[in-house]
Amino acid sequence: MASLSGALAIATRALLNDNAGINVTSNNIANANTEGYSRQRPVFEEAAPIQYGSLQFGNGANLEQVESMRDKLLEIRIQQETQQQADSGAYLGAMQQVQSLFGNAQGGGLETAINGLFDSFTQLTSDPSNPSIRQNVLTAGENVASEFNRLSANLSQARAQLDQQVAGATDSVNQLTAQIAALNPQISLLRASGQNAGTLEDQRTQLINKLSNLIDVNTVQSDDGFTLTTTGGAALVVGNQSFALTLQRDASSAMLHIYSSGKDLTSGIQSGQLHGFLQARDASIPGYLAQLDDLATGLGTAVNAAHSSGYDINGNQGANFFTVTAGAGAAANLQVALTDSSQVAASSDGSVGSNGNATALAAIRNQAITGGKTASQSISNLVFQLGNDVSQTSSRQDAQSMALQQLQAQRSSISGVSLDEEAANLVKYQNAFQAAARVISTIDLLTQTVINIGASSTS
Amino acid sequence: MIRVNPDIFTTVLTGIEQSRQQSNNLLEQVASGRRVNAYSDDPAASATMVYNRAQSSLNDQFTRNISDLKAVLQTGDSAMSSAVTALTRALTLGIQGANGTLSDTDRQALAAEVDGIQQQMLSIANSSVSGNYIFSGTNVSTPAFVADAASASGVRYQGNSGVNSLELQPGQTTAINIPGSQLFTSAAGNVFQALNDLKTSLSSNGDVAGAVSSVRTAMNEVSGQRSFYGQVINQMDAASNALAQDKVRLQSQENDLTGADLAKVATDLSQTQITQNALMAAAGKVSQYTLFDFLK
Repeated sequence: MASLSGALAIATRALLNDNAGINVTSNNIANANTEGYSRQRPVFEEAAPIQYGSLQFGNGANLEQVESMRDKLLEIRIQQETQQQADSGAYLGAMQQVQSLFGNAQGGGLETAINGLFDSFTQLTSDPSNPSIRQNVLTAGENVASEFNRLSANLSQARAQLDQQVAGATDSVNQLTAQIAALNPQISLLRASGQNAGTLEDQRTQLINKLSNLIDVNTVQSDDGFTLTTTGGAALVVGNQSFALTLQRDASSAMLHIYSSGKDLTSGIQSGQLHGFLQARDASIPGYLAQLDDLATGLGTAVNAAHSSGYDINGNQGANFFTVTAGAGAAANLQVALTDSSQVAASSDGSVGSNGNATALAAIRNQAITGGKTASQSISNLVFQLGNDVSQTSSRQDAQSMALQQLQAQRSSISGVSLDEEAANLVKYQNAFQAAARVISTIDLLTQTVINIGASSTS
Repeated sequence: MIRVNPDIFTTVLTGIEQSRQQSNNLLEQVASGRRVNAYSDDPAASATMVYNRAQSSLNDQFTRNISDLKAVLQTGDSAMSSAVTALTRALTLGIQGANGTLSDTDRQALAAEVDGIQQQMLSIANSSVSGNYIFSGTNVSTPAFVADAASASGVRYQGNSGVNSLELQPGQTTAINIPGSQLFTSAAGNVFQALNDLKTSLSSNGDVAGAVSSVRTAMNEVSGQRSFYGQVINQMDAASNALAQDKVRLQSQENDLTGADLAKVATDLSQTQITQNALMAAAGKVSQYTLFDFLK
């Protein structure tokens, strides 16, 4: 026969279980708005039955575990999408700035200056000996040089800024990997003893998400532990140890490179903000700088060639109009070499009023001066490239944002706390608690009755 | 049990955010009057605008060149007109002087007037505009002719044979000056030689008729050469018109490529507002209660 004390034990355990259920519900409600929280749910299992004589009696329920509701695969996909979106976002920010340095659809400094130079040559053809028109040519040349100088300096500055951002992001990566490494042993310990490490795992997932913002990461969870690497294979966290990234300044580019355990990781980083910054800093901006240098070299050389085939107002052979350092740095170093308007070589035969060379100078407008392109073609190409780059990145980022949101909504549908559900659970556990308490008080009454079975005859 | 995302606020907020972003973009278009501001708004249009602006600024320069030079050409034309008038007078004098019945004194008087016409012609040939001698070829700082007693024609040419060309509009170039040597002292008709011969023949009672014939030849030559100036001025006017039309075309292209269609923007803006309000109203209705409100 099953005993009363057996029933009491079952009911007591039921009370404790329902208490636990209420605890879990309370925890869920309290964390309803905690970022990265995965809702928990108590998992009850039937206790092993007890044999009384030939009959099996159920023995109540045990709280096996408190389970965190999460989808690991979904979390990984969220991390990957976060990396992509952060990459696009960082690159977009940098290139939008570069785009506005050049100008906008209404015009730009360099473009206006170059048009001004060609126009000044065209004006020179109408009155080549006019002193103020000749001075205008010099001034227009100086405007072109200073616009090239300015733009080149601004692009270099943009690179320097990105360099700082790379350093900042790398620091943040190191802080996060250190925090993850600190959590790992705690999580392993809990899991080894069969307990729910839900809260700590939530925290770790959040840290990995933040890390995904910065750099591309791969998670490997094996029985011996937790490993975090970049997709290129460099170790970031192994078990309870984190491997900090270091920064070294590269000798040839004067830019910071990222090292992991002595190996240069810089070109191996594939997404996250770091990739966006590095892409802009090491590929895109230098590309535009090179185009600028080519244009400066081409324009300076063409003007010099035409200028030195003519004669100035005193009948002297034309000197170089610009000082040109061809190749890298051409834009930064372009200067006007002439010092006086009398040196402007408008004449083609040495006579004061000849406009033959002015015509040759004006014709440069339509000549191919760099890579088979005229100055206008060169600028137009650059404008299109820049605009297209930004526009495509922007579209890509929009698409990635949408994808990320959908993934997060999916995650929320699995792991998010629903207040309706918790309310229902609360009622459920409350009722069960009350019922179990009722059982206990009934058993108490019965026990009293049993105790008093032989007591009433004494008088 | 199928679970839905319990957090609707994120979705609602995202929707509102997108809606506001759209409003902002549209308002920026209204404020600037432009649909395309950054290169990334429309890369192809931005690239085309580079050409548009280059053509536009060149167009302005051509127009300025024409208006600056027209004055010079007009001076040349009126100088030639004065020359023809002076030569006509010389012709009259010469015809008078060819009359055998004149006395020496009379002929001297005629010769003296021809001398005056010679000086006038020298001054005409040395016309200048803003300090540049317009008949000196490209030696513009030097007077075209100088009196030279050693010369048979009485003058010496100091200019050169340089001719400047000017591009009036893209692809159209024209010469803009004629050297004085071609205008006044060419083999086809030498004005100074003819006038000098006339003066000499009148004062020494020489071959006046012959000199008159030379003067007539020179006058016809000058008349013929003069037409150059009228032609160039006409070309300039025509080019000016063409440039003005092209300017309009460029402005129209700019508007097509980058201008905001304000009517469409206004419509889109009110549509966006409607969407935004509907979104917020719906969110307000849906999210008011949880089960907690209904459990006692």
